[in-house]
Amino acid sequence: MAVKVLIVEDNPVARSFLTRVVKESFSDALTITEAGDLESARRQIGPLGNAAAVADPFKLILVDLELPDGNGMELLAELGQYPATKIVTTLYSDDDHLFPALQCGADGYLLKEDRFEVLVEELQKIVRGQPPLSPAIARRLLTHFRSGSGGSSGVVTTDPIPLSAGFQSSRPVPMGRGAPLDHERLTPRESEVLTYLSKGFTIKEIASLMGIKWFTVNDHIKSIYKKLNVSSRAEAAVLASKQGLV
Amino acid sequence: MAHEGAAEPLRSSGTGNTWPGGRSSPTWTGLPTNLPDSVLDAGWNERSDDTLHDRQWKGQRLALLILLTLIGALLVAMTIRALADTPRIAAQWRIDALGRIELASSSDPALRAHIGQALTGVIGPDDAVALPDALALQRTPRWVVQDADRERQQATQLLLVNALSAQSVRLFFADGSKLELQPAPRGLGALPVASWLLCAVALALYMMAVLVVLRSASARNIIYAAMALCQAGNLLLMAAELALEFGLPAPLLRWGMPLHMAFDLFTAAAMVTATCLHPRRLPGSGWIALCAWGVAFVLVAMFSAGALPSAWWWIQITVILVGGVGVGLLSWSYQIEPHPFAIVLRQFGIVTTTTWALLTIALAASDGLRSVPHNIADTGAAIWYVYLAALLLLVPFLARSQNVLREFALLAAVGTVAISLYLLFVAVFTLGQLPALTLSLFVSLGVYSAVRQWILSQLIGSSVLTTERMFEQLYRIAREVEARPERVPTLLSQLLSDLFEPLEVNVGDLRTRRSRVAGDGSSMLIPVPVLGGGDITPTQSILIRFAQRGRRLFTAEDARLTDRVVEQLRRAVHFDKAVEQGRHEERLRIAQDLHDDIGARLLTLMYKAQSPEMEDYVRHTLQDLKTLTRGLAASNHQLSHAAAEWKSDLSHRLIAAHVELKWVFEFDVDILLTVVHWSALTRIMRELVSNAIAHAQAQQLEIDFRLLNDRLELTITDDGVGHDPRAWSHGLGLGGVRKRVKQLGGEVEWREVQPHGISCRVVIRDLSARWQL
Repeated sequence: MAVKVLIVEDNPVARSFLTRVVKESFSDALTITEAGDLESARRQIGPLGNAAAVADPFKLILVDLELPDGNGMELLAELGQYPATKIVTTLYSDDDHLFPALQCGADGYLLKEDRFEVLVEELQKIVRGQPPLSPAIARRLLTHFRSGSGGSSGVVTTDPIPLSAGFQSSRPVPMGRGAPLDHERLTPRESEVLTYLSKGFTIKEIASLMGIKWFTVNDHIKSIYKKLNVSSRAEAAVLASKQGLV
Repeated sequence: MAHEGAAEPLRSSGTGNTWPGGRSSPTWTGLPTNLPDSVLDAGWNERSDDTLHDRQWKGQRLALLILLTLIGALLVAMTIRALADTPRIAAQWRIDALGRIELASSSDPALRAHIGQALTGVIGPDDAVALPDALALQRTPRWVVQDADRERQQATQLLLVNALSAQSVRLFFADGSKLELQPAPRGLGALPVASWLLCAVALALYMMAVLVVLRSASARNIIYAAMALCQAGNLLLMAAELALEFGLPAPLLRWGMPLHMAFDLFTAAAMVTATCLHPRRLPGSGWIALCAWGVAFVLVAMFSAGALPSAWWWIQITVILVGGVGVGLLSWSYQIEPHPFAIVLRQFGIVTTTTWALLTIALAASDGLRSVPHNIADTGAAIWYVYLAALLLLVPFLARSQNVLREFALLAAVGTVAISLYLLFVAVFTLGQLPALTLSLFVSLGVYSAVRQWILSQLIGSSVLTTERMFEQLYRIAREVEARPERVPTLLSQLLSDLFEPLEVNVGDLRTRRSRVAGDGSSMLIPVPVLGGGDITPTQSILIRFAQRGRRLFTAEDARLTDRVVEQLRRAVHFDKAVEQGRHEERLRIAQDLHDDIGARLLTLMYKAQSPEMEDYVRHTLQDLKTLTRGLAASNHQLSHAAAEWKSDLSHRLIAAHVELKWVFEFDVDILLTVVHWSALTRIMRELVSNAIAHAQAQQLEIDFRLLNDRLELTITDDGVGHDPRAWSHGLGLGGVRKRVKQLGGEVEWREVQPHGISCRVVIRDLSARWQL
């Protein structure tokens, strides 16, 4: 059965370019769906209420940030529980644009102006679980986790949250502001990795500096990504409960 | 309210404050410090705005104030009433060339026939008074120089009073004619204007004394009140003497001279006591004060007992001596602590004593001269007393702007000078009346302008700082404050020091809402404004003391000026912020537009490129555009952050090109790169790396970045195939590198390295020199 891929991109030239990149990256049989705006993307994805019930979900979604009818981040936020690898494709490489996208649950980002070969390689890495982290983003992550992800919120969920999808079934229970929960805290190793990344070291260099294998460094990065994602979702959940949405 | 300022330093003098560096060395006690308690009076802390106005006129104090006011007003009213009821002959008299009393004018038709005739005697029912000379016309015994004259005057006056109190009197004139008249009370309307004025000033002085004592019954305030009351008494006496021509009532005759004498001497003694206590308590002040009062009491007692020959001279010389002692004490006080109040008081003291001495000499010299108008001595003395009264009324307000009163006091002093000079000219130089008058007027006007300048220079700010320099400073501070808001107190202190040249500047945690003068004008308290924020009440204040190195008093105008300066500073900061904000927003907008529109088009162009070269070219253009827009959007980049991104970006690209990167990055200060520096350095590195990737076919690239002592050295070395860099034709890429290095004020050179490869070296000396490009 073909792997379903969704590409949300308003520029037709860029869309076909990305299609080529995706086709080049994977040997599987692919069904590539293209969408020019958020509206048609939502139509393609279908109702989100019960993700597990979707018979044949997209496995990979590429989303541009600047779209005619809104920002790709909206879609990312809606796709919180959707079991796909979500990748932001953008021209913006600054952390002001990328960090919120990562918080919204993006699994990685591609810079559209990169060479074809570079993009193919990056895409494969992300899907394999080796997301990129620029020094600026690493810096942002460090401050994000240091200040406590719940910095703006006084209440957090108490139940241990499974890192898999569907964690939102647990009801948020109001609680006094305390120490950040485990899932929001970085391990010392993760902090170390982030610190090196923020100083511009490559993964190989970090591996040799820390005396570990490069894929271990990668695991740490993946874990950091997830923590960011989860802590952001927890924040979002708290925010939603405050506003009476849940 | 009136004397609140004067109440402060008394408290401070009790704390035994010591002047740290002597008057020659201004103490910049370093900033920010807590207010040193040796310098700041202990009373200061209690004297924030809250306590300043808490002494409301309420309850018992108000009742007392009203009561005392009523008593004073009643006293004055009774005096006036008594004067109006005293019987008199409705006529004006003057002294003729022979020194006799001549009828000048009259409202009585019977008397009018005798105008120009000399009065030789008055006969009442019981007494007959012979009037051989004009002594009886001199109203007050206080200004009769000779003891014998005074006694004769008193005797004559006594007889005259008796004669005038009868139903009718007969006047004898020199030509032998006689006239019978009925002396009658004149009524309120016919009292001389001068009497009314003197009464008013006396009442004002009395009120001032009452207010000051009621406000705070401190030793110094009581002394001030004593001086004011003595002078009020003097003025009231003079008002009475002025109203009655000849024939002072018996009690006035008996007690006039001793009272005058007591008032004068007590005032002098009180003045010495005051200078002992203010602006600071002097060592041995108790003994000095005791001596002054002792002398005053002994003299008054002796005179009252009739045991003081040449009493007039005793009074005059004692007052001069005591005045001199007061001036000396003030000089001493200034030596100990350069309180500008001491200087101002000393100046007024010198003026006061000098005019008094001048008056004494003039009166003594003109004594017994017939060519002198009969009441000129009284008038001269009266003007001097009015001057003193004005001065006393002025003293509590010296630091405030009581311009009118100040000018009035000066004018009164000059009036005394004019009359004294006139008397002197007539008496000593035997000038005619008109030339003497003219000359004395001219001289005293000259004296007036000189003295005025001399005194006002202490009171009015002759700002050293020109407006231009102040504006320059204001804007410099505004810019600096924007970058470092915590430096506001220091910067403002510097501005204020330039403005006022104070001896002391302190920053402390005092709250005050607006600038205000304190400590009798020795100090000014300025709230440190919270610049940039909203209207938060300032929690810190700057206290500056002793303006112009202790030679000038702070005035209310200074406080207002300071408030305006602070306000201007606040505006300048706001304005700068708004401008910066606007610039930032505009840059952001341009960056956004460039990035979104041009970026998207370049991307499309890149995807559609016909050849890899074309594609690379557009890609570089796009990357340059992104660098440009990022530079526009962000204001500054920390060097270490920029370095991380450079390394990440370059290694990313080199790994893709299978080139190994050797990265050396050293710096001594993690500076903030400006947009210009950041984008120039970013593009230089990117271009050089692109060049190495594209043309050198290198295996390894070494980037060596060093920033030490503001000198930047960037070396990029490859081990590729390039050689003979002089022969290179610099296309867009390398030309761009040259241009940007030049823009940063540096140099770039390429050379071959062994065994093979090219090294490019960029050197920028004084990187921060072109900070504001």
